[in-house]
Amino acid sequence: MTTSAQGRQKKYSGAGRQRNAWLLHLFLLLASVLFLFPLVWLISTSLKQVNQAMQMPPTWIPKPIVWHNYYKAFHYHENRVTGEIPFLEYARNTVILAILTVAGAVCSNALVAYAFARLRWKGRDVAFALTIATMMVPFPVTMVPIYALYKNLGWIGTFRPLWVGFWFGGAFNIFLLRQFFRTIPFELSEAAKIDGCSEFEIFRLVVLPLAKPALSVVALFTFLGTWNDFLGPLIYLVDPKTFTLGLGLQAFQNQHGGTPWNLMMAATAMVIAPVIILFFFAQKQFIQGIAVTGLKG
Amino acid sequence: MDFRKLGLPALALVVVWAAYKSEQIPRIEQKPGPVHITYWEKWTEFEGDAIKAVVDRYNSRQNRIHVDLLSVSDIEKKTLLAVSGGNPPDVAGLYGPNVAQYADDSAVMPLDDFCKSYHITRDDYIPVYFDIGFYNNHIYSLPSAPASTALHYNKQMFRDAGLDPEKYPTTIEELDALADKIVTRKNGHIDRSGFMPAEPGWWNWGWGCVFGGKLWDVKTGKVTANSPENVRAYNWVRTYTDKYGAGELSTFRSGFGNFSSPQNAFLSSKVAMELQGVWMYNFIDQYAPSLEKPVLNWAAVPFPHPADRPDLANMTFADEDVLVIPRGARHPKEAFDFISYVESQEGMELLCMGQRKHSPLSHVSDTFYSKHPNPYIKLFADLPKSPTVVSPPKTGIWPEYQAEMVAAFEQVSLGKKTAKEALDYVQNRVTMINDDYQAQLKARREAGK
Amino acid sequence: MKASRKEALTALVFVSPWIIGFTLFLLYPLLASVYYSFCNYSVLKPPVWVGLANYRNLIRDDVFRDSLVNTLVYAAMALPTGMAVAIGLAMMLNAKVKGQTFYRTIFYVPSLVPGVPLAVLWLWVFSGKQGIINAVIQPWLDALSRALVHLHLHVTLTAPQWLTNATWAKPALVLMSVWGAGNAMLIYLAGLQDVPQHLYEAAELDGAGWWSKTWNVTLPMLSPVILFNGVMGIIGALQIFTIPYIMFPGGSPARSTYFYAMYLYDNAFLYLKMGYACAMGWIMFVITVALTVFALKLSSRHVHYGGS
Repeated sequence: MTTSAQGRQKKYSGAGRQRNAWLLHLFLLLASVLFLFPLVWLISTSLKQVNQAMQMPPTWIPKPIVWHNYYKAFHYHENRVTGEIPFLEYARNTVILAILTVAGAVCSNALVAYAFARLRWKGRDVAFALTIATMMVPFPVTMVPIYALYKNLGWIGTFRPLWVGFWFGGAFNIFLLRQFFRTIPFELSEAAKIDGCSEFEIFRLVVLPLAKPALSVVALFTFLGTWNDFLGPLIYLVDPKTFTLGLGLQAFQNQHGGTPWNLMMAATAMVIAPVIILFFFAQKQFIQGIAVTGLKG
Repeated sequence: MDFRKLGLPALALVVVWAAYKSEQIPRIEQKPGPVHITYWEKWTEFEGDAIKAVVDRYNSRQNRIHVDLLSVSDIEKKTLLAVSGGNPPDVAGLYGPNVAQYADDSAVMPLDDFCKSYHITRDDYIPVYFDIGFYNNHIYSLPSAPASTALHYNKQMFRDAGLDPEKYPTTIEELDALADKIVTRKNGHIDRSGFMPAEPGWWNWGWGCVFGGKLWDVKTGKVTANSPENVRAYNWVRTYTDKYGAGELSTFRSGFGNFSSPQNAFLSSKVAMELQGVWMYNFIDQYAPSLEKPVLNWAAVPFPHPADRPDLANMTFADEDVLVIPRGARHPKEAFDFISYVESQEGMELLCMGQRKHSPLSHVSDTFYSKHPNPYIKLFADLPKSPTVVSPPKTGIWPEYQAEMVAAFEQVSLGKKTAKEALDYVQNRVTMINDDYQAQLKARREAGK
Repeated sequence: MKASRKEALTALVFVSPWIIGFTLFLLYPLLASVYYSFCNYSVLKPPVWVGLANYRNLIRDDVFRDSLVNTLVYAAMALPTGMAVAIGLAMMLNAKVKGQTFYRTIFYVPSLVPGVPLAVLWLWVFSGKQGIINAVIQPWLDALSRALVHLHLHVTLTAPQWLTNATWAKPALVLMSVWGAGNAMLIYLAGLQDVPQHLYEAAELDGAGWWSKTWNVTLPMLSPVILFNGVMGIIGALQIFTIPYIMFPGGSPARSTYFYAMYLYDNAFLYLKMGYACAMGWIMFVITVALTVFALKLSSRHVHYGGS
């Protein structure tokens, strides 16, 4: 840098920079408040008594703090006809689905992405472009025939439509993993080939271990998708004892009576919590994964 | 190092366990003993208790069949989904007005043969309640809980306005006049209202029927949305908007509380008169005891008729919840055995007393009325017998037709369209929908499917 | 020759899950959907060929038109707003202030919340009477009304009934979607961090201020990312379903929130008109592709790839 540039740099430092920093902090704080308040309000309501929950003007800190709401939400007895809402069952069902979908997504997509990234074959790039193109197909287009397909297989009412498909790859994850696999030096594969490894051994022993970050991103996003899925369970699950958390939460909404908002918020908090906790433990992966999709896209 | 070696097989084991569990959970176990049938119902709270009592008594009386009652929200959607998915419940509690749609889509089984073998005929019922389930010469549903409507009014509000609480309106014109006398304002805004067609607004599609109009010509199978009586009715609705102002009414209404709470418009004495159903007593009892004790300050009377149409007196909207056997049910015979119990005098009175409604049967025990907590229950039981009773048209497009009529009502009452404009639009649109619908039905029938 | 053939076979084995998946869950449904769109199909009975009837009816169907308009209007509102907020937040975070990770977390976490609990939360937050939003803004509106009186303007400003007023329901949904902008924000942030520093320095040498830097350096460099997010945003906005399905059953008030995917779903599973729903699905697909192509064409003029 020339001295005159340095001089101008100096002008930017000092008072001007300080003021900019303060302004920035102000905006960030304001934005934070706007983004946080619904969740804070959620927690606040979940700890109130029923009558206090509806009170206007609102109080942020409940007096008294009713931790018992969480217990009550878990064992909700509003439905006197068939007993409590089986929160635990919904959680169990959701966890089982999460295990099956994550395993399927990781295994199948790794295999497919490997072929696109590390193997050479005729028509590979065209096939890859086609794969990416399929991301544009909105689900409602294929929803009906897929539903009819499952119905003819007799799978409606079981969990199968919600996880079997994940064992056959998905465009988004193929894309993600393929981008990542390509960043692993090809020399390593060459070296292993010289050592006499089969392609599958290279895949298993060389590429996969190095791809753990990307694989964990796939696992994370698949888990999130399953935890949050609503339309799938809505159309494929029939017996209420098979419902997932997202679907079952609706049971708190009483059509004729007043919805007990404090209990409902407590239940909502319990459904949201695992996702947020997961995020805190896996922040880096989340952000890396999103960055990769956006940048190389 | 050892941990890592364990890692992968352990994970694989977890996945296999999950797959195994996922197969187990939805499975329906065939236990030895009584046949288990599933019954999906929409009711919760005390209404749910009532049906539970019926189910429990049926289960305890015999050991061939055991009914598993399940309370389901969004029941119609879920049942239709289950039918299309191929594993529906054996009995479902759905909505009377939509029977034609269920039948056209073959979502429910016809019950004629079952009724014959159990000797259930039209004579066992107040005719309108049987007819709701009778479509295209087949019985597709039987009533569970009946409903009828009447004008509910608040005697105390009458007194506050200096009116005789026993002089209730018998004609529409009297209704309008009384409404004007009762309305009060505070700071230029409506504080209390005498009557508003939009409150509660559950029969907004049917105001034409109050004026003698019909929505459907049964003989020709044609839509009659813009018949002169219907237009007259919606013009009458419009007079309220013009009198009070669309914005005023909107603001007033937005201040109403939840329906089932003490802040309900009628229960909190914000609206003096409204068209409501037999269940209203339950809400009064629970949320506004001051209307009952120490003195009975509310009353239910037949809804007024236009002064020039005395032939329309004692009109009521009859409706009902129904029991159906969805197509593809695993145990239809056992399902109907249970249904027949609900239709028996003992079962039906247990259900209707529990829900504090009247009975749809033609034979009712005297103790039913004498023990019933609703002081006006006899009125709700007699009104459906009158020749002016109205039930929704039996057509497979009723959900769409109803939606159109309600939308038309909203546009008229918000002052956006005149009655004629709104109803002409409905007439054209629903006629078109109906023609297409009939054409598709015909095509399906001719294809032999 | 043999080597590459062996490689091709190996590739086939590796790709086989996707071949099955693609054929079964994409190709077959797409073709079947076309077929069904020309049929009357209620899934309870086999499909019956009716030719162009479904498409003819769609043209005359007001609800179809309304739902399409609603969806496009919503997309037109939500997309630019979401983009502006996401880019703005990303730029703020990129300025290397203290606590960047903390803020980043706060902005991202909301986008993780699942659909049903989120809808329930919004029902509570946006409630006209008991909602926290109205509780907070009403005093401000009252103060504003009082201030306006001094200008001889007598208006009473009331907080909008978000959930029951047709004019405010869509804006409420836009606000909700903006709340979930954290995902896009992270992508923009990553993109911003890729912008070569020397470009900024060069701009500063020319005496560029904040706005000029943003317009001439940041946005052009960010344009591939903007394109990507834009296309994803279009696809997402056109399919909006879960939140309005739970919050506004039937598209109330007055069908202002009846979106395309909801009408499609109702046609398929409520009215059992699956053929009609398939026709709707195809139209949605065509519109999606058209908008994407349009976005790409637009981008070829404005998007800068690589560093220059």
